[in-house]
Amino acid sequence: MSKVLLKLENLTMKFGGVTALNEVNLEVREGEILALIGPNGAGKTTVFNVITGVYQATSGSVTFDGHNLAGRKRFQITGLGVARTFQNIRLFGDMTTLENVITATDVHKKSGLVGALFGTPRARREEKENRAKAHEILQFIGIDEYADRLAKNLPYGVQRRLEIARAMGTSPKLLLLDEPAAGFNPQEKVELGATIKKVRDAGYTVLLIEHDMSLIMGISDRVAVLDFGTKIADDSPAVVQNDPRVIEAYLGVPADAS
Amino acid sequence: MKNFNLRDFGAGIWERSNRYQRVAIVLVTITLAALLPFAGASFLATPVAAYDAVLVYPVAIFVLMSLGLNIVVGKSGMLDLGYVAFFAIGAYTNGLLSMHTGLNTWEIMPIGIGAAMFAGVLLGIPTLRLRGDYLAIVTLGFGEIIRIVALNVSWTNGPNGISGIQMPPPILGKEFALDDQKLFFWVVLVMILLTIWMIRRLTVRRPGRAWEAIRQDEDAAELMGVPTLKYKIWSFTLGAAIGGAAGVLYAAKNLFISPEMFTLNVSILILACVVFGGIGNIWGVILGGAILGYLPDRIRFISDARLLVFGLVLVVVMNFRPDGLLPRKKREKALVKKGASA
Repeated sequence: MSKVLLKLENLTMKFGGVTALNEVNLEVREGEILALIGPNGAGKTTVFNVITGVYQATSGSVTFDGHNLAGRKRFQITGLGVARTFQNIRLFGDMTTLENVITATDVHKKSGLVGALFGTPRARREEKENRAKAHEILQFIGIDEYADRLAKNLPYGVQRRLEIARAMGTSPKLLLLDEPAAGFNPQEKVELGATIKKVRDAGYTVLLIEHDMSLIMGISDRVAVLDFGTKIADDSPAVVQNDPRVIEAYLGVPADAS
Repeated sequence: MKNFNLRDFGAGIWERSNRYQRVAIVLVTITLAALLPFAGASFLATPVAAYDAVLVYPVAIFVLMSLGLNIVVGKSGMLDLGYVAFFAIGAYTNGLLSMHTGLNTWEIMPIGIGAAMFAGVLLGIPTLRLRGDYLAIVTLGFGEIIRIVALNVSWTNGPNGISGIQMPPPILGKEFALDDQKLFFWVVLVMILLTIWMIRRLTVRRPGRAWEAIRQDEDAAELMGVPTLKYKIWSFTLGAAIGGAAGVLYAAKNLFISPEMFTLNVSILILACVVFGGIGNIWGVILGGAILGYLPDRIRFISDARLLVFGLVLVVVMNFRPDGLLPRKKREKALVKKGASA
């Protein structure tokens, strides 16, 4: 079994009196595609927000690649190798597709403002590397033809893919995809599934939030199910699919009454 | 109107030019700007005020300050209503050092810039965690604090201000003179050119991307690994540095400063220059600063109605061009290529 990349231990997140996550334990292993599913309001996006440092957990811990993430700033967590996409697309609309990705590739670069001002050799070299890497990622995702278009003018599907490309720009070990197929038609979903598999095969680990069962069953190695902030199942897709508690959570009827 | 767009027209010429043509365009533009003080006999002449003095202040210094404020407001999207504070710090640094030490304007310049930057960092670290309206209120307060301190402490001479500031020493054997301010204009022009160079350099590289990302979606920027606080402080500090430099020059030009020169009005007026010209676009901002600096002096002959007309012009132009005279709008490269071949 490959090594554990991300580990959530007894993770609890409370907003006032509302418990969004209750004692959640979850492990993501290197090189797998783990799908996180659950009904609306189950706390899936909250998990992402706690991992990426948007929220500080009420209790419990998040360990990534040997680092405890508690108290780290968001850009530092990104620097350690966690990158995410957003459920509601949040690209930098007035920047080109290429610039969106380059902004992300900057995270591992050393040169800052002074280097940029005086055009030091390092700054120049890093600009070149950024550009090459960004094109490489765009080609990999299959949207390089849109490199010079403003992000806000891109077709919806390309914007969704650019979200993934931008996240990959930060050279993450773990990629958190928040409903990457939202609003896609079945054909687009199939294509996206293939892209996600390709991303995993290129060496990334993927934690995926998704509602579309056929997509999840098709690509994920494991499926974890959240319901009202509690993890109720965590197993291979086939097992989870037939778990009575999962069916209950989704269909709202006791499994034996159906 | 629909078919002609000055910004795209200008950008189009630039895109189509080769390296040598571009150098030529830059040189011609700079030469024309440098020759401005000699146009005093034309329709440009300002009644009442001396034309070459008006070119220095308000025109050139407004342009310089607008460029500085544009880094903060236009590039990184932080509303700063207290920009006058840095202008005042620069001016008072010149005033105080000129009064107490034998330093000349050029020796004071780096100190004044440093003092303004220091104030920028000091104000920035605690306040730049705030956003939007909240930041605007805090900076507005800061601007007022600086003015009120200058008004009330004894070492700035309070409301009497500081007089007897030294003229800058001659440059290349040419003396500065009160009745001929061409040399002063050229000095400010050099500062403006340096600022443009700096902004252009930064904009196309990492800091520019970071600012742009912060302006558009600060949370997403931070989650994509942009150290947002650091780049916001940089933006604020660079804006402060330019404001400070403008202050040092202003004190050296005016030879007298007092707290009433550094009211909230100045902050608002410079912000108006930025918005009027085209927030985020340096050419627009330059145009805005130049027009709003020049216009009130040009129409001085209508005396009492002067500010009314000035206000009306602002209202009318902003109605027709809500994004400013030369708005920021990034053109897509593919479209430009298409336009060029057509």
